Amino acid sequence: MTMSDLISIKGSRDGLRLRLDANAAWSELLSRLDHHLGERRSFFHGASVVIDLGDREVSSAQLDEMLALIRQHGVQATAIDSSERATRMAARAVGLATRPIVRYPEPMPMPEAEALLVIRTLRSGQVLRHTGHITLIGDVNPGAEIIAGGSVVVWGRLRGLVHAGALGDSSAIICALELRPTQLRIADLIARAPDQHPINRPEFARVVAGEIIVDGWETFKR
Amino acid sequence: MDGKRLSVSGVIMGRVITVTSGKGGVGKTTTTANLGTALAMRGARVAVVDADIGLRNLDVVMGLENRIVYDLVDVVEGRARLRQALIKDKRLPELCLLPAAQTRDKDAVNAQQMIDLTQQLRAEFDFVLIDSPAGIEAGFRNAIAGADEVIIVTTPEVSAVRDADRIVGLIEAAEKGPASLIINRIKPRLVSRGEMLSVEDVLELLAISLLGIVPEDETIVIATNRGEAAVYDPNSLAGRAYINIAQRLAGEDVPVMAIPDQQGVLDRLLSLFGRRRT
Repeated sequence: MTMSDLISIKGSRDGLRLRLDANAAWSELLSRLDHHLGERRSFFHGASVVIDLGDREVSSAQLDEMLALIRQHGVQATAIDSSERATRMAARAVGLATRPIVRYPEPMPMPEAEALLVIRTLRSGQVLRHTGHITLIGDVNPGAEIIAGGSVVVWGRLRGLVHAGALGDSSAIICALELRPTQLRIADLIARAPDQHPINRPEFARVVAGEIIVDGWETFKR
Repeated sequence: MDGKRLSVSGVIMGRVITVTSGKGGVGKTTTTANLGTALAMRGARVAVVDADIGLRNLDVVMGLENRIVYDLVDVVEGRARLRQALIKDKRLPELCLLPAAQTRDKDAVNAQQMIDLTQQLRAEFDFVLIDSPAGIEAGFRNAIAGADEVIIVTTPEVSAVRDADRIVGLIEAAEKGPASLIINRIKPRLVSRGEMLSVEDVLELLAISLLGIVPEDETIVIATNRGEAAVYDPNSLAGRAYINIAQRLAGEDVPVMAIPDQQGVLDRLLSLFGRRRT
């Protein structure tokens, strides 16, 4: 799930982590960041991220510039990770939490199958967001949202909004024991639930010929 | 006595229970007033606290508006002692009201001040019922800050239930549980015709424990406007429902009161013949 050589993103139970290359020119890095967040708006809008700046030395003015940029995309930074002391001081000066270092020997590969398992009821106003697949054991109530880079499995009633393949993967699927969403999204497609939906059986949704199609679970073949 | 707990120091402490809803107008204040009164009728010492600063009306519902001298903000800011601000109920000496300030807003108090206040109150009362403002902002957060338990009031309407679900999520996140539910203004006829969410529909979505149900009842409107609690009126169905909820809140092992169908003549006739409509 590498966004480019300069920017990579990793999701974990603790949230999203945006890792920015430590050597590229700052202005180029920002323009790539702008482009990447813009392209993946549906995934990032409303997200909070930890930003890993590696060992780059960044001033508070530069940080302000970067924070303003990500804010325009609806993204909020919760903390800055850096091995460079001057960068951490600059981050604290603009009011951000800092953590000394999480040094990877090389860019962390994002295994495609990385999935998040969550066991709870997702209630109105709550958002579950992850770069990989998401499995939720529990209900997704109306007003709740799941946003995943990969596929979404709900072992329960799905009555809120789910966006699978939110980073652009239209082969992502959504399945639930009871699929009665307010809205389903896969990649850049949007489907609304039909007004009448009497069927009460496990179902799954996928993209067929540019449309989101919902079928009974027993017809599933891969 | 109902519901007392031992504190670490061994002093008997009361329970702090916040009544909240998310959506406005579902009956939080009426619920607080009636539960407070019903608990005091059982002999418990009860303080009801209006945490809706700037939009106070618990005093109006309880008919105590003209006795207010000091309010919650006066206590928090040190202009009055707690004892001075507490207003005794007209009928029940065990029941006291701490009114909200009307000329200030939600920012006049912070969460820590509310926690300190509830600590003082729980030392003197068996139950401290806090009437929360609607919404999910600072006023709501202050109202739950000192709570041991939270009661969520909803009506069987989709929008109210949606907001209640949001509140349950926030209460779980703030680790203020367990939250229990009161479903207010149920109209049995509409439910039986499938035109209103049933108790089961609401519980299926919210998945929290049911404390009680209250029927739509015009005696509530009359009592509220008179500044008298409906629980005094033995003919008030809603009043009886609040007494049932107070029993359950106090730990009595009684079932949730069933609401008779107001058009139940047919049912009664059928039951005479040993049959039941399903």
